[in-house]
Formats: sequence, C-alpha cells, structure tokens
Amino acid sequence: MPDRNVLEVRGLHVCANINGESVALLKSVDLTIGRGRILGLVGESGSGKSLTCGAVLRLLDGRGLDVRGDVVLNGEELTRLRKEPMRKIRGREIGCIMQNPMTAFTPVHTIGSQFIETLRTHSSLSKSEARDRAQTALAEMNLSDPSKVMKSYPHQLSGGMLQRIMIAISMCLRPSLLIADEPTTALDAVNQLQVLRQLDRLRTEHATSILLVSHDLGVIARLADDVAVMREGEIVEYAEVHELFDHPQHEYTRMLLEARFRGRKEGSPCFG
Amino acid sequence: MLRVNELSHAYGGGRWRGSAGSAAANVLQDVSFELEPGCCLGVLGASGAGKSTLGKIVLGLQRPSAGQVLFDGCDLYASRRRDIAGVRRNLQAVFQDCYSAVNPLMTAEAIIGEPLRNYERLSASELKRRTGELLERVGLSAADGSKRPSEFSGGQLQRVNIARAVALGPKLIVLDEPISSLDRVHQVLILDLLAELKASLGLSYLFITHDIQAAMALCDRAAVMDSGRIVYRTDDPSSLLEAKHETVQRLASAILPEHPALRVPWEG
Repeated sequence: MPDRNVLEVRGLHVCANINGESVALLKSVDLTIGRGRILGLVGESGSGKSLTCGAVLRLLDGRGLDVRGDVVLNGEELTRLRKEPMRKIRGREIGCIMQNPMTAFTPVHTIGSQFIETLRTHSSLSKSEARDRAQTALAEMNLSDPSKVMKSYPHQLSGGMLQRIMIAISMCLRPSLLIADEPTTALDAVNQLQVLRQLDRLRTEHATSILLVSHDLGVIARLADDVAVMREGEIVEYAEVHELFDHPQHEYTRMLLEARFRGRKEGSPCFG
Repeated sequence: MLRVNELSHAYGGGRWRGSAGSAAANVLQDVSFELEPGCCLGVLGASGAGKSTLGKIVLGLQRPSAGQVLFDGCDLYASRRRDIAGVRRNLQAVFQDCYSAVNPLMTAEAIIGEPLRNYERLSASELKRRTGELLERVGLSAADGSKRPSEFSGGQLQRVNIARAVALGPKLIVLDEPISSLDRVHQVLILDLLAELKASLGLSYLFITHDIQAAMALCDRAAVMDSGRIVYRTDDPSSLLEAKHETVQRLASAILPEHPALRVPWEG
C-alpha cells in the first residue's frame, strides 16, 4: 500500500455566533500532509492559522463555535471521536508546540516531573525508564547539563530551552503529526535556528509530519516542503515550496515575498 | 546628549534576594557609549546578553549597581527629582509587546494624549487636535482615536505606541525590540516609519534588537553585546555581515534564507 497521507483536512468550516449572527472564521479549508513532510502554513494574524490548528486538535469543542468538515489522521476520522479516545490521540499521535513556551508548562512542577508524567501517560514506561529517556532526549537537543534542566522550574529556563524541551518530549513519544504553531516567534535569531534544526531532526529521524505555522517566510524557506497561504479564513495559495517562492500566484503571497528591509539612506544626519 | 559611563548591573545582589544563597548575576559589565543627536545606535545581541537591562537603565527605570547615565548633562540616578522631570519628557520608549504597553481600557486618543496631559496644559479641543495630528503622523487616521487597543492589529497598535513616544517631541527614544512580534510585512512598514520620523524630527534612537538585518536597515552605528559586555562596535552597520568577531558571526549565521534554494546544511 502506498504511503497514506498522515493528515487530511477536508472542507473545514468554523463559524462563530456573534450577537445572533453567524460569522464564518474558516471557509472550507483543505490540507494534506504526507509522512515525514513539513507543511508550512503562512498568513497574517487573524487569518485563521491557529484556529485551523485548534480544529485539528479538537480544542475548539465547547467554545460555542460551529465546526464542520473532516479531519482524518492516518485514516481515522477525528471529528466524530468521543472525548476520551481524542484525549489519547493528543500527545500520543499529535504532538503540539505552541508559541509561548512559558505558558505551555506548569510553573509549579519541575521540568523533569512534567516530562516523566507526559511520557508515562502515553506509554507503559516505569518512572526510571522514563527518566532515562528524558535525559537522553534532552542531551540530544543540545541542552547542556540535562540533569540540571530536569530539576529546573520553567521560569529558570529561557524560551529557547523550553521550546527544545517540548521537542524533546515529541522525540520520545514519536507522534505521527506535530503541530508547531509559531514555535520560534518568541525566540531570538540564534535560538530560532536551533529550534528549527531540532524540528528537522524530528522529521528525519522519526518521519514525523509537521504542520508548521509561521508568519515568517524565512522559517518556511528554511524548513517547509509545501506551503499553504491563508487569508481571511481561506487558503488562497497552495504549492510546493520552491514553486511558491519562484512563481507566487496570489497577490498577497507576492506582497509577503517582496517585504524586505531597505538599506539605510546615506548621509543621514549623525553629528559626532 | 546621552552618555553612559562604565555601567555595571547585577540582579539578585540587592536587598531582595531571589532565593537564599543565590549569587548575584552580572548582567551588565563596564558598558560605556555616547549617543549624539539625530543618531541611531543599534544594540545587538542574543537574549540574555543584557540589552533590555541596558535599555531600562538608560530610561531611568532601573538603578544600576555601578556607573552613570548622563542625559544632557543630568545624571539620571544622582539628580534631584525636579531636575530629572525636565529630562524625562525628552526620553521616551517603545517596547516589543505593544498590547501590554497600553491600558486596554483607554482609547488610542487617551493613550497618545497622556504625555501631553502630563506635561502641557491644553484645552480639550486642542488636545483632540494634537492627538489627531499624531495619529495621522504615524499613518493612522484621526478617526482611529476612539478605538481601543483590542480593535487594532499589532502593527497598528505599535503605531499608536510610536505616536505616544513622539507626542512631546523628545530627543531620544529607546526602541526595545519594537518590530520583533510583527510579521515581516509590518516590520518593514514600521521600520520605514521610524526612519522617516527620525529624519524629519531629528530624533535619536537606541535600537535594541536581535535582528541583524533590521539593525543594518535603521542604524547609523551598532554595538554588539554578549554576556553583559559590548564586544564589538562599528560606525558602519552595513559591514556587520563581514565582521570577524565570533558573536557577530553567530548572529549573522542565524539569518534565515530568503529562498528555499539557499538552504545550507546544519552546522556541526
């Protein structure tokens, strides 16, 4: 059997009810990600990128939003799953990395206890096995002194370190899909590069497919295989990454590609 | 205009210890520089290098452990309150997180009008005229004055913050990562606005950023920081990419490709 798509999203609609009026937030979104592929999802803020992630993870339930359409993960339809099986899929089958790593961890427990708890929730590992796995994964993330990291609380670590710890958790659980929603937006350039590199490792070593949400075309150019461009709740362009950069079709994509810093004007008044 | 002399700063060494027995961490060591009118100095570095602490100290918000900040000859940490009040209006700031920099319950008009109300006696109609002008100056419309922060996009709200910073016609604005949370399209637009305001109003900027390309586009001079020290200085920021210093090269090598064809193998 040929490689099946890991994720297929078909006709995803999300409507909100605002003052008795139905407002469409997502209008028929279609996405497919093959095994070990990275799909970049770009668009300005408010275009529906994070809402798409939320709908795939079924985190929009109970928010008074009307969600329609199909979300198929490895051939299994997620939209009709009951709560408990869906909870098992989150973490085990779909990993998740959010923009703000500070709020992704509980501030009152150490990294080690959260790492081990997460591993044991989704596997039958003993505590000491889980601890060993965690330490190895942290060391592979280029984090110096993993045992010190394990004993640290989130506020004692930088954002870049926390994002790499998030990826380390995914490295251990090997989900078939990772949703990375603006994973490097809160980081400086040097940390950004390290996190991107580790995401690439996750996909090469474990063939994890990644839905990479970013408003930064540099991140997309570095990592993505395919790109979907969103605007106002719709996908306006969908192409292989080289094709998109070489022959952008939509006006908005062209505007994104043309946005570059201009050089400084010479002869600016700077008295010394 | 601005002179910073041998500034050092350590957190945790003061009266309020973070946790018992923790050693004071030096976040700034021996930082000195001067900034002339109409000049933009870029302060570059990775997170944790001490850039934002430097910005806070220059703004008079954080007393340093040692060293001086002289603004127009007035020592910010050794002068009388009354003398500093005159200096304050010439010293403004724009921060990275545009939403937490404003009161979410205030309208744009009230936000921009606040420094004017504090320093100038204006009638209600005069205040409205001035805030309207400022909104238009930064590329918004006077009608946006009645909107609240949640009704603006990040880029628009950063324009409101910039309007507030220029309201009193200051001499120096500390820009602490002012474009880092925006997408590239808006980064370029805001940087253009900042360059235009600098030229037309004769402003000086202390531009704190980790983005070497943004620094190259706006700055007249640049200082690169690492572990609390200035490790590299240049009067020609356009040459930063060719600098031989390790810290600068690390920042330069983190620039992402503009096209997927320019991907390079991961280092190391």
